Amino acid sequence: MQDETKNHGLSDYVDIRYLDPATARFSETPGGFVRLTIGEGETYPRVALYRAFPFSYPDQYISVRDMDGNEIGMIKDLRAFDEATVRLLERELERRYFTPVIRRIESVKEEFGYWYWTVETDAGPRRFTVREVQHNVVRLSPEHVLIIDLDGNRYEIPDTGQLDPRSRRYLEDLF
Amino acid sequence: MKGLDTPPRSIIDVLQRAGANESDLIAVVAGDLDAGGRYGEVWIALTASDLFVVWSPGTGSRPPEKGGSQACPREEQVERIPLAGVDEVTTEHLVGNGFLVATVRGEARRLCQFTNSRARAFGIFARIAEKVRKGEEVREEDYTDGRPEPFCPRCGRLYPNPDRAICPHCMDRRALTWRVLSFFGEYKAHVAAVIVLMIIGSLLSLISPYINGRILFDEVLTPGGRYEGRILEVILVMAAFSLASIGVSILHARINAHVTAHVVAGVKARVFAALQRLSMGFFTNKQTGGLMTRVHSDASHLQYFFHDGVPYFIVNLLQIIGIIIAMLLLSWRLALLVLIPVPLIVLVLKKAFPRLWRLFTRRWRATRGLNATINDALTGIRVVKAFGKEREEIQRFSRRNEIVYGVSLQTGYYTSTLFPMVGLLMQAGGLIVWSFGGWQALEGSLSFGTLMTFVYYLGMLYGPLEFMTHIVDWWTSAMNSAHRIFEILDTVPQVAERPDPVRLRPMRGEIELSDVTFEYEPNRPVLKNVSFHVKPGEMIGLVGHSGAGKSTITNVICRFYDVQRGAVKIDGVDVRDLAIADLRAQIGIVPQETFLFRGTIAENIAYGRPDATMEEIIRAAKAANAHDFIIKLPDGYETVIGAHGQDLSGGEKQRISIARAILHNPRILILDEATASLDTETERQIQEALKRLVQGRTTIAIAHRLSTLRDADRLIVIEKGEVVEMGTHEELEALQGVYYRLREKQKEALAIRGIAG
Repeated sequence: MQDETKNHGLSDYVDIRYLDPATARFSETPGGFVRLTIGEGETYPRVALYRAFPFSYPDQYISVRDMDGNEIGMIKDLRAFDEATVRLLERELERRYFTPVIRRIESVKEEFGYWYWTVETDAGPRRFTVREVQHNVVRLSPEHVLIIDLDGNRYEIPDTGQLDPRSRRYLEDLF
Repeated sequence: MKGLDTPPRSIIDVLQRAGANESDLIAVVAGDLDAGGRYGEVWIALTASDLFVVWSPGTGSRPPEKGGSQACPREEQVERIPLAGVDEVTTEHLVGNGFLVATVRGEARRLCQFTNSRARAFGIFARIAEKVRKGEEVREEDYTDGRPEPFCPRCGRLYPNPDRAICPHCMDRRALTWRVLSFFGEYKAHVAAVIVLMIIGSLLSLISPYINGRILFDEVLTPGGRYEGRILEVILVMAAFSLASIGVSILHARINAHVTAHVVAGVKARVFAALQRLSMGFFTNKQTGGLMTRVHSDASHLQYFFHDGVPYFIVNLLQIIGIIIAMLLLSWRLALLVLIPVPLIVLVLKKAFPRLWRLFTRRWRATRGLNATINDALTGIRVVKAFGKEREEIQRFSRRNEIVYGVSLQTGYYTSTLFPMVGLLMQAGGLIVWSFGGWQALEGSLSFGTLMTFVYYLGMLYGPLEFMTHIVDWWTSAMNSAHRIFEILDTVPQVAERPDPVRLRPMRGEIELSDVTFEYEPNRPVLKNVSFHVKPGEMIGLVGHSGAGKSTITNVICRFYDVQRGAVKIDGVDVRDLAIADLRAQIGIVPQETFLFRGTIAENIAYGRPDATMEEIIRAAKAANAHDFIIKLPDGYETVIGAHGQDLSGGEKQRISIARAILHNPRILILDEATASLDTETERQIQEALKRLVQGRTTIAIAHRLSTLRDADRLIVIEKGEVVEMGTHEELEALQGVYYRLREKQKEALAIRGIAG
């Protein structure tokens, strides 16, 4: 696919190759993954998508990489693509960055430094355990909270202001 | 069917209908996400010939390929994938979740999605599926991944941290308290003395109000009293009681201080010893980072609890009981009346104080955040000034400051309301005494002295009551501290010496890795089926991109970690069978990040052999090209490192660490990027020193700059955890493969910097 021995100049490393909606075509493979064809000849049977700014700009600056992890190019803004492509890529991104949004906190109980959470997320109800809340409950901005449980699962509260008062109190006690 | 997950009857029935008998199942695993990416259930089953995917009914659950917005299925959906058409079964790990992927006739297919909580099970499942597909025999050990069982054997609950076999549920607080108390075992006599003194102290403090009230007013000041007019004597008695009471409390506090200080020092010593014993894995585990820094404060926390908490608990409990008994004896009717507001006070304290503690905690955290900001800005002041960002830093500080201000204000408002309210309730008791007691006194059924005694007792009651309301919280948090301490004391080293290990002294230095697979985290193998053989005395260069697994290879050779599959052998003996002391005594490491301990240069060189003579130390330093610069230091070999700031350069420190390795005289030497951070001249000196060090030893050298590996007998090229090329420099050049390309790139990089490659 690409030549590793090729001589790279400095500009090859710093220039960003943006994928042009006019030439880059994404399609779904029968196995449920994403295929990319650029122009005529350049085809990648399966690509992986990475967000550069997963919290602030989930739809912009998306790195498209082959299965060896090499960058093919970046999507500057997902919304420049047609609707079907946006849907396909958004679904793929959501799968990679599986981070349910917590809608309500039912309870947070602490025992011996382990925090047992029962929450309602947009992916359904969930119970999980967090240790070292100071490190694993991260305030990305004053209102935006990321929680990482013991297994490395991630949960997000994009706007604590949207939570009901009880849920907010549980959070406040942690900070 | 062994291991992994046990499907419920309904799933077994579904599988049966799809053609898989229960007895044919080789492995079954449950995923916790449905096809729509919501929490749900999916079962994957493996037989000798097929893979089955069973989607449970439920909201949003639908097989992925059907897509669209069709209605949710009412019953399980089964899909059968014949293994004959499958090229590979793997798991893929993403952010917070993973996929089980089967490559069917060249086309990768997503079978299901699972959260990280199920990643281990799916990793095992995929490996078993691969074995079955290749027609290999599936053995018992394939159902585990070489990691400890994730369940508590006592209650069957999952451990919160699978790498540490500690179940918080089975470690209940009461048992913990007893365990903490067992630290006091050797001080039984002291503890008994403290308790006796406390009882005496409590009795003395109970008698005082009686003398001050009843005796003073009724018997001394009242005409016709038993001691009428003998005021001086009574005052002397009062003073004597006060003195005795103070004497007793001084004595008990002193004994107590002695005991707790000793016990806590002992606990700290045990924790540190336990930490030293633990395996590397414990220290690199992300979740333990914070744990370690807290151990010290936890021990102090325990000290406070046992120094101030427990004794005052006993004293206060005795006081409360004593006061109530005394009041009941004096006048049971008035006593009962006085006690009416007590439950109310206790209730208020119990309700209101937790909120207060929370506010205090928040204020503390906010202040800590503010301090961190100050620290950041001041430590990085060079950067702040260089970028001209003073104004932004001031703003950042102001934001933090405002948070602290807000919380402080809240706390202030709360306390300024709470305390007067509680005070009012407490006064209510006093009002009852004065009104009913006063009325009884006027009526003559209660003496004035008894009334005064009551007032004193009542005043003595509230302090202990308030203490009692938060002793439970205090106890809880002290037990949390104890829990963390025991967690470290109880952690079993992952790398443990087997009983009756093989002694190997001296070793020849032959190293063999056969089919080694190793992962720091489940399902993320860092080494994959790595095999190579190193002859005694041979020098091997490990080459590859950063993150390829080179340092990990040296870690498993030193047995800082145990491999999950395959074996590391030294002189033909599995390192897991070797005595750890023998292994470590004969392996020397010169790391990239040199670490010198506080102490003199001589002590640092002799770290591995404290009995080395002065001559040996000087010889080692000479061999390491370090002697010359050490001699020029004003304090020579007795220069204390770190005493007057950073007085040694990186290259100098590196040479001391080489001298340390030379004196240690290991059979196997590991050079982990030993010259990476040095300038050319220093590097040349160190290369020279290394050449002397390498002679006659088995050496494994990792270097980024390939030119530094010119002396290696053979090079092993590692890429993504696998050995991709092996051979002499010339052989690899001729191969025009990975090594060749790496070299070309480095030449280019050197050319850019204007140095001929």
